[in-house]
Amino acid sequence: MSTTEKEKGLLSTLWDSLSSVRLTIPLLIVLAVVSIFGTLIPQNATPEEYLRIYKVSTYKILRILGFLDMYHAGWFVFLLALLGLNLMVCSLRRWPLVRSFFSQPDAKLEEGQWKGISPGRRFSLPLSAGDSLGEFQSRLSRNFGEPRVLQEEERWHLFAEKGKLSRLGFYCIHLSILVILLGAMIGSFYGFRGYVNITEGETVDRVFLRSGQQIEPLGFKVKLDGFSVSFYPTGAPREFKSTVTILEGGQKVLTKPIRVNEPLTYKGISLYQSSYGVASVEKAILNGVERSSGRGFTLSLQPGTRVEIPGTPHSLVLDRFSPDLQGMGPAFQGRLLEGERPVENLVILQNHPEFISKMPGRYEFRVREIQPKYYSGLQVNKDPGVWVVWAGCFLMMAGFYMTFFMSHRRIWVRIMEKKGETQVEIVGSSHRNRSEFEKEMDRIGQAVKEAVSSGKKKGAAGGPSW
Amino acid sequence: MVNSAKMVSAVTFLYLFSTVLYFLYLAFRAERLGRLATGVAWTTLGIQTGAILLRWVESYQMGFGHAPLSNMYESLVFFSWCIALLYLLWERKLKSRVIGAFALPFAFAFNAYASLAPGVSAKIDPLIPALQSNWLHAHVITCFLAYASFALSCAVSIVYLVKLRKKGEMEKEGGMTGLFPALDSLDELIYKTIVVGFPLLTIGIVTGAAWANYAWGAYWSWDPKETWSLITWFAYAIFLHARITRDWRGKRTAILSIIGFIAVIFTYFGVNYLLSGLHSYGSS
Repeated sequence: MSTTEKEKGLLSTLWDSLSSVRLTIPLLIVLAVVSIFGTLIPQNATPEEYLRIYKVSTYKILRILGFLDMYHAGWFVFLLALLGLNLMVCSLRRWPLVRSFFSQPDAKLEEGQWKGISPGRRFSLPLSAGDSLGEFQSRLSRNFGEPRVLQEEERWHLFAEKGKLSRLGFYCIHLSILVILLGAMIGSFYGFRGYVNITEGETVDRVFLRSGQQIEPLGFKVKLDGFSVSFYPTGAPREFKSTVTILEGGQKVLTKPIRVNEPLTYKGISLYQSSYGVASVEKAILNGVERSSGRGFTLSLQPGTRVEIPGTPHSLVLDRFSPDLQGMGPAFQGRLLEGERPVENLVILQNHPEFISKMPGRYEFRVREIQPKYYSGLQVNKDPGVWVVWAGCFLMMAGFYMTFFMSHRRIWVRIMEKKGETQVEIVGSSHRNRSEFEKEMDRIGQAVKEAVSSGKKKGAAGGPSW
Repeated sequence: MVNSAKMVSAVTFLYLFSTVLYFLYLAFRAERLGRLATGVAWTTLGIQTGAILLRWVESYQMGFGHAPLSNMYESLVFFSWCIALLYLLWERKLKSRVIGAFALPFAFAFNAYASLAPGVSAKIDPLIPALQSNWLHAHVITCFLAYASFALSCAVSIVYLVKLRKKGEMEKEGGMTGLFPALDSLDELIYKTIVVGFPLLTIGIVTGAAWANYAWGAYWSWDPKETWSLITWFAYAIFLHARITRDWRGKRTAILSIIGFIAVIFTYFGVNYLLSGLHSYGSS
């Protein structure tokens, strides 16, 4: 065998296997099995987390094989692409067969074909062939569509069909998967996934991308006007809300709240409520007691600003706020001053009153209220492919309907005059739910017979002979 | 005072009772027993419907009303309800009660798990922000109708395999399997229930994706729950391709249908209990 023949042999083998449904099933099985691995092995975790579960050698092997970010690994994408290719080639290959159903067959079936579609129904009608024809025409156009008629001397041939579209259902489903994959590709090439933390009052015009640490300019500015969080009486969170203003060219364009499940989309970029935290303290209100005299007082402070304790030579300044100081909860670190001279360093805990009396010092401080300044964590995405994905999903639904709940039904009727009476024969084919269609054909024959007998009132209609 | 949790407990025992009646019907072939089994099943479904509606009302009385589809307990009861409803509709359509002895145990088991398992809390909790979405209803309802249809398919597959094993002896002696429909009609029923379930599962996945896109800004993130729903989807796609294009029938497709249902169960429970991910609120 020469090399070119060999290559041709290889190519055609490749084509054959690509175009075969024999490839589809193993491919689906492989995709299902590797996906199981993907759910058992934590994805995109930190090396420390992996080393807690796996030995170093296992970790290295998994990393080299791409199992740690499996769904984006080259070989996984290749499997998906192979599935897409297989779908495409299978669909192209089946096209001639499907197309043949869209060219209308002759109204007249050859005797051989007639026998091939069984079982037929045969009965006679006490009516002229011409009148019977009219009955069948109106009945068929009601149940199917306008029938095609062919006259051949003493014989009439009728053909009608419906549900042709169901032959295309399989195309819609398979095409829809390609459309969804295409939408996903558009999203990954022309979209981005990023995030940004904005402190109340702050404005940003760029976000950090999730992949790597690149920065993506937005083309407009986002200002966080305010953030609020509310809780149920049970303590479970009820609502996270960021109110943002979009600014473009120094102009306010719109102001809108963003909640979980309620993103804001502007110029194809969507902002989602994702996280929040306390950035700093706007104002703190402290209750204080002078230990020597037992006298109480209240101070309202802004961090970094000095406030005098009334009636004493002392003043207090809060230097630092920690949302969680060594696991003890929110805390301030500050200094007590006498004139310009610091005399004490202070730690003021919000949540542990039991420590306060034990702490040394001239004063006891308790936190009455903290007015925090929040930051809001927003997920910022652009995905121009998402509508392609939804279109694919709709196409798939349409395809399911066509494939599973419609059937292509064809019916042939021939009417002939024989020995003074009119003989009718009916055959039909349905590519799904044959038994239901048999009943439908019975109903059509029955309806015609009833129409004839009630029209004639003679009671001499020919009985059924099936 | 009647409350929904007590009604759910009662439903557990009534489904068990109905299951026993369906078995007795098979054993004694008494039409009266069969009618009684069906009657008990419909009544239980009615009580279960009442329990679900009452729980809905109770959540409003607590001041944070929401449809009872938000946690493990509620989803289990709803799953059981879907199975019983779909089974009883098929029973009417097919005019045959023989699948009941195998389908009702599923409705019983999931309802029993909801009301008896110590890890499943019957407490009504307010909806956390991520769950406050109308997609919740579309997503949960379609998913569980699909799961229920697959549960029926699995039940029929079990009937098929039982009948296949007993084929020789049964034809002579009768016995439990004597009433079973022909293997062909069972095979057809396995296929039909999957044909109902597969588009529903697809809608379930798509509505889930649409919801994720609103809540998290990504319609697909390969979260374990998403991935397992896709694995389930692959399993039934394999079933359909094997049957339609490769002409697989009978034992092999029955086994595929059971494998598919194992994937359903893992998607539902396994992911919540064994794997971690964004769907973790479904586990309590």
